[in-house]
Amino acid sequence: MSAHATGRRHDAIGGVPGFVPWLLLPALATMLVPFAWMVFLSLQPGAGGQLDASRIADAKFDLVHYRELLAAGAFPRYLLNSIVVALAVVFGNVLTGAMVGYALARKRFPGNRALTWGVIATLMVPKQVLMIPLYLVLARLGWLDTYAALILPFFVDAFSIFLVRQYVLALPAELEDAARVDGASELRIFATIVLPLLRPALAVVAINGFLLNWNSFLFPLIFTNSDALRTLPVGLALFAQGEHATDWGLLMAGSTVSVLPMLAAFLLFQRQILEGMTAGAEKG
Amino acid sequence: MSAPAAVRRKPRKVEASTWILLAPWIVALLFFGVYPFGFSFVLSFFDYSPLSPDSARFLGLANYAEALRDPLFWKALGNTLLFVFGTIPFTTGLALLLALALDGAFRGRDLYRAGFFLPTVVSVVVISLVWKGLYSPEGPLSWLVRAFGGTPPSWLLDERTALPAIMAMDVWAASGYYMIIFLAGLKGIPVELHEAAALEGASRSDRFWHITLPLLAPTFLFVLVVNSIRSLQIFTEVFVMTRGGPLQSTLTSVFYLYEQAFYKFRLGYASSIAYLLFALTLVLAWLQVKWLKLEGPKS
Repeated sequence: MSAHATGRRHDAIGGVPGFVPWLLLPALATMLVPFAWMVFLSLQPGAGGQLDASRIADAKFDLVHYRELLAAGAFPRYLLNSIVVALAVVFGNVLTGAMVGYALARKRFPGNRALTWGVIATLMVPKQVLMIPLYLVLARLGWLDTYAALILPFFVDAFSIFLVRQYVLALPAELEDAARVDGASELRIFATIVLPLLRPALAVVAINGFLLNWNSFLFPLIFTNSDALRTLPVGLALFAQGEHATDWGLLMAGSTVSVLPMLAAFLLFQRQILEGMTAGAEKG
Repeated sequence: MSAPAAVRRKPRKVEASTWILLAPWIVALLFFGVYPFGFSFVLSFFDYSPLSPDSARFLGLANYAEALRDPLFWKALGNTLLFVFGTIPFTTGLALLLALALDGAFRGRDLYRAGFFLPTVVSVVVISLVWKGLYSPEGPLSWLVRAFGGTPPSWLLDERTALPAIMAMDVWAASGYYMIIFLAGLKGIPVELHEAAALEGASRSDRFWHITLPLLAPTFLFVLVVNSIRSLQIFTEVFVMTRGGPLQSTLTSVFYLYEQAFYKFRLGYASSIAYLLFALTLVLAWLQVKWLKLEGPKS
C-alpha cells in the first residue's frame, strides 16, 4: 500500500490519538521483559536458582553457562541436528511446493480436484490424529530414531503447496505459452521460466518452513529416542526435566542460543514472515 | 488469451511431465496423510500395543465406550475446554485492541508491532521454560507480589493456580499473532466507507460499531476457528511446565493421549481419544461458523 493511500486512510479513519503509544509502552515492556530475563539469567555465573531480588543490584555477567553448553557434548549436537533437519525440510518444502503448486494451478488432469482438496484437508486435520499411525508407519519402515523420521514426513508440505498454487493462479500464463510455442519442453518451462517467477512465494515458503521446523516439538519428540538425534527444542525440554531442572543459568543459555537464529530471521525477513502468517487468513 | 486454444491445451492426453511434478504430493498424501488417517481410525477399534503387535484384538466400539467412562479422559477434556474458553476471549480481545491501536501511523509503530509479534517466532519450548522460571517460587513474579505486600501463590505448584498460570502465558504468547491477522483484516476495509460515513457526520465510535466491526466478521471467524483448533491441541506447554500435574490439574487431552500412547502403549485406546478430539474440533468449527451466520469469506 502506497504512502498516499495509507495517509488517506488515516485521514478517513481519524488517526491515532497521541496518548496511544504511551499507553502501549507498558504492554510492550510486558512482551519484552521475559526475554530480557532469559538473557540476563543466562549471563549470571553460579549454579542454579532463580535470582533473588536483593542480588540483582550486584549481578555479575559471565559467559560461563555458554561455555558449559559447548562442553556438554549433547548440546552442540542438538544444534547441529536442528540446523540439518530444518535445512533439509526447507529444501523439500521449496522444491516440492513449487512443483506441485504449479501443476495444481496450471495443469488439467484427472484428479486435480481431489489432489487440491487433499491439500486443504491436510491443512485442517489436527496433528494428534496422525501422531500414532505416523509413528507406526515409521516403525514399520524402520525409520524411527533416524534423520529420515525427522525429515521425510515433513518434506512435502501442504501449506507450501497451497501458497504456491494461489500465487501461480494470480500469475499470467503468457510467458509459459510463448515458450511452449517455441517448442520448449514442459519440465524446461518449469525450471527456466516458472521457478524464477515464483521466487517471492518461495521465499515465504522457505522462511516459514524454517521457522515451523526449527520450533517443532511433538513429532521430533515421539520419533526419536537417542540423545544423538534430538533437535534443540526436544533436547532443551528433556534437559529441563532431568538433572538440570533447576539449573536456570544453563537452561536460559540454551534457550537464548535457540532463539537467536529466529530473532535474526525475524529481523531480516519480517515482511515474508508476516505474509506467510496471514496467507491463510486472507483466503479464509 | 493470446495463444490459440490448440497450443494451450493439447489433446486430452496428460503429459508425463505433469505426473512428475505431482509425484511428491501423491506419494506424501498417500503415505503420510490418507494411510495414517485411515489406519488410526481402524486402530481405534482394536486393542493394540507395539510391545506385542501379534496379540491385537478387535474390540468394536469398546475403546470409545471406555473413553466415555474414563474419569481422566473427562478431566483432561474439561481442562482443555477450560483452557480454550478461558483464553480465547482474552486473546481475541487483546489482539483486536492492539490491532486497532497499531493500525494508525505513528513514530515507532513497526517496533511495537514487532515486539508484540515476537513470541510467535520463538519456540513454545523456550517460552514455556522462561515462564516456568518466572513462575518459580523464588522467581520474579513472586518477588513482584511480595513487593506489593502480598503473599505469592505457588503458581505452577498449586492445583488451583497451575492451569490459569499456563493460560495467562498463552494469552501473552498468542495475542501478537492474532493482532497481525486483525491488522490484515482492517487493511481490507475500503477507505471509501469511512470517508462517506464521516461526510454524513458519523462519529468515530459510530464508524467502529457500524463499519469496522461488521466488516471484520470474517476475520473474527478465522481467528476464533484457528485459535480454538490450536488450543484444543495444547501439549508442549504442559509437557515442559507441569507434566499434567499437580493432581492432574493441567492434564490436557493431547497430553493424556500422549501418555496413553507412549507411556502405556495403548495405541488403540489413544487412537479413539484422538478421533473423539477430532470430532470435537469439527463440531466447534461448525458451531462457530453457524454462530457468526457466515458461510465463508465470500458471503
